[in-house]
Amino acid sequence: MQIPASTETSAESTLPKAILRSGRGFRLGYTLTSWLGLLPFLLFCLLFELLPAFVIIQGSFADSNSGSFTVNNFQRLLAGISYIHAFQNSISLSLVTALIGAVFGFFAAYGVYNSRANWLRNLLVGFSSIAANFAGVPLAFAFVSTLGVTGFVTVLLHNIFHINLYDAGFSLYTFWGLVLAYVYFQLPLMVLLTVPALSALKPEWREAATNLGASNATYWRRIALPVLMPSLIAAMMLLFANAFGAFATAYALAQGNINLVTIQIAFAVNGNVDFDTGLGNALAVGMIVVLLLAVTLYTAMLRRVSVWQGR
Amino acid sequence: MTGAADIQQTQRTPDARARRFTFRWDTFFLVAFVLYLIIPLGATLIFGLSGNNGIDFHSYQQIFSDKDFTKTLLISLELALASTVLAIVLITPTVYWVQLRLPQARPLMDFLSLVPFAVPAILLALGLGEVYSSSNVFVNILSLGLVPLLSGNGLNIVDTPQLLVCAYVIVSLPFVYRPIDNSLRAINTRVLAEASYSLGGGWWRTFLTIILPNILPGVVSAALLTFSTAMGEFTLSSLFGIYTFPIYLDQVGQNDAHKAASLAILSFFFTLVCVLAILLFVGRRVSGKQTNVEIAAAK
Repeated sequence: MQIPASTETSAESTLPKAILRSGRGFRLGYTLTSWLGLLPFLLFCLLFELLPAFVIIQGSFADSNSGSFTVNNFQRLLAGISYIHAFQNSISLSLVTALIGAVFGFFAAYGVYNSRANWLRNLLVGFSSIAANFAGVPLAFAFVSTLGVTGFVTVLLHNIFHINLYDAGFSLYTFWGLVLAYVYFQLPLMVLLTVPALSALKPEWREAATNLGASNATYWRRIALPVLMPSLIAAMMLLFANAFGAFATAYALAQGNINLVTIQIAFAVNGNVDFDTGLGNALAVGMIVVLLLAVTLYTAMLRRVSVWQGR
Repeated sequence: MTGAADIQQTQRTPDARARRFTFRWDTFFLVAFVLYLIIPLGATLIFGLSGNNGIDFHSYQQIFSDKDFTKTLLISLELALASTVLAIVLITPTVYWVQLRLPQARPLMDFLSLVPFAVPAILLALGLGEVYSSSNVFVNILSLGLVPLLSGNGLNIVDTPQLLVCAYVIVSLPFVYRPIDNSLRAINTRVLAEASYSLGGGWWRTFLTIILPNILPGVVSAALLTFSTAMGEFTLSSLFGIYTFPIYLDQVGQNDAHKAASLAILSFFFTLVCVLAILLFVGRRVSGKQTNVEIAAAK
């Protein structure tokens, strides 16, 4: 891995030098044509990625009718109890599922990493990537068929063990039911993100630690976990963002019974009567702020990962 | 890479032997994890097949004879194909160009491919609607006059399949950019390109006959992820009011639980085919250090 990377960088540094020598005008022309090649992609991103984000932010500070500058939208957001609840629900749902996914996913990933047979590891990684991609409406229906009122497991528990889940206070159509469904794609995502990080742990580190008299627990506490921590936090941030932006699963499962920010925004987009664009935009900006925090932490942590993994 | 993995394997063995007689927490969690993933699938399969008297394939027969099933499936296939082609055609040459001519633009590319994480599909739907349905002086200037052109009277792209395709490309941008960029970094792009130029190959010829075959695993993986994202995308198409397969799934499923279960199983097998195709193409990389983790955002 190292050798091609190093030749590549040396080749990169020789070429601009050659251009530098051949005069300023040529260099300017070269740079200009270089950027020109990027233009189609940049225009596409501008039109369909950046402008929508820009309009949301601009619209959140504009009056819905007159278009003049106002912070009224945010004031109404903060005054509306259901919006605050939506944010609380979305954040706690994402946090809970990211935590569950991160903790259990880490142990499962360690199991995957430790499985001695190569075919088994490949099978588990393959299955995880299928499960991580199996989300949205089909996932919601799979959980209804499993744990819904007449779901297979619900009926099985009732008929064989005489346990009635729904009498015991469980319901799939509540917060914790949604947590169960979200964990279904969060767990395998965590496994996929953690297995490569675990492979980056060098066996020499453990050997050195053991030689110096460290126990297994000491090795994990003092060496493995600190090295893994940035990867784990980065993975958790990705899980958080993944859950926070999710809409289809919650919509198909609970049909608006659970108050989430994404569901509130869907009302705004669909032009619900008691909703105006300014408020929808303010909600969206709230979401962007939360997600930006997660994404910033994610990239910062990834940068620290590269220190250890030498990439 | 496989060599390194093998060495690790052998070095781990004595360690593993020492732990054989103790209770293995990681194995316990692994089994629990696999059960958690399999039980809903098995339960859904049985639930879809269970009728009034034992197993019957009634719900599958109903689904396959439903006109809307084929209609929406075709629409989704068309949209997914269009998004895949657009994403690959737009992004692959761009990433190659950046690698070769504009390494200083890489932070910009990284940023653009991270934006979809901060602006998920639901916000994209909201923003695109506002950009193309109302006239806004700022937007008109910032877009260099392109937005008025696209949302004018003759050509209104708001809520059209064309805009949906563009949105799908943006949603899958992280999953397209990463594998292609990784493959380009893994091969010695600059040396290959310079060798080709010195032998008289032009830019396009170098790209199509030298670079592209070398990064094909990454491109195929990106294409399949875009395809499966677009096939399963619900949020954007429901807010755009375009009747795609996931919308059909939702509508049918809300009325008939058994049909919903069968449809969920069908979509699972669809995801399975896509991921298996990726694994077959990217194949040996999975066990190595360079596991490319790309997850479609169909949530």
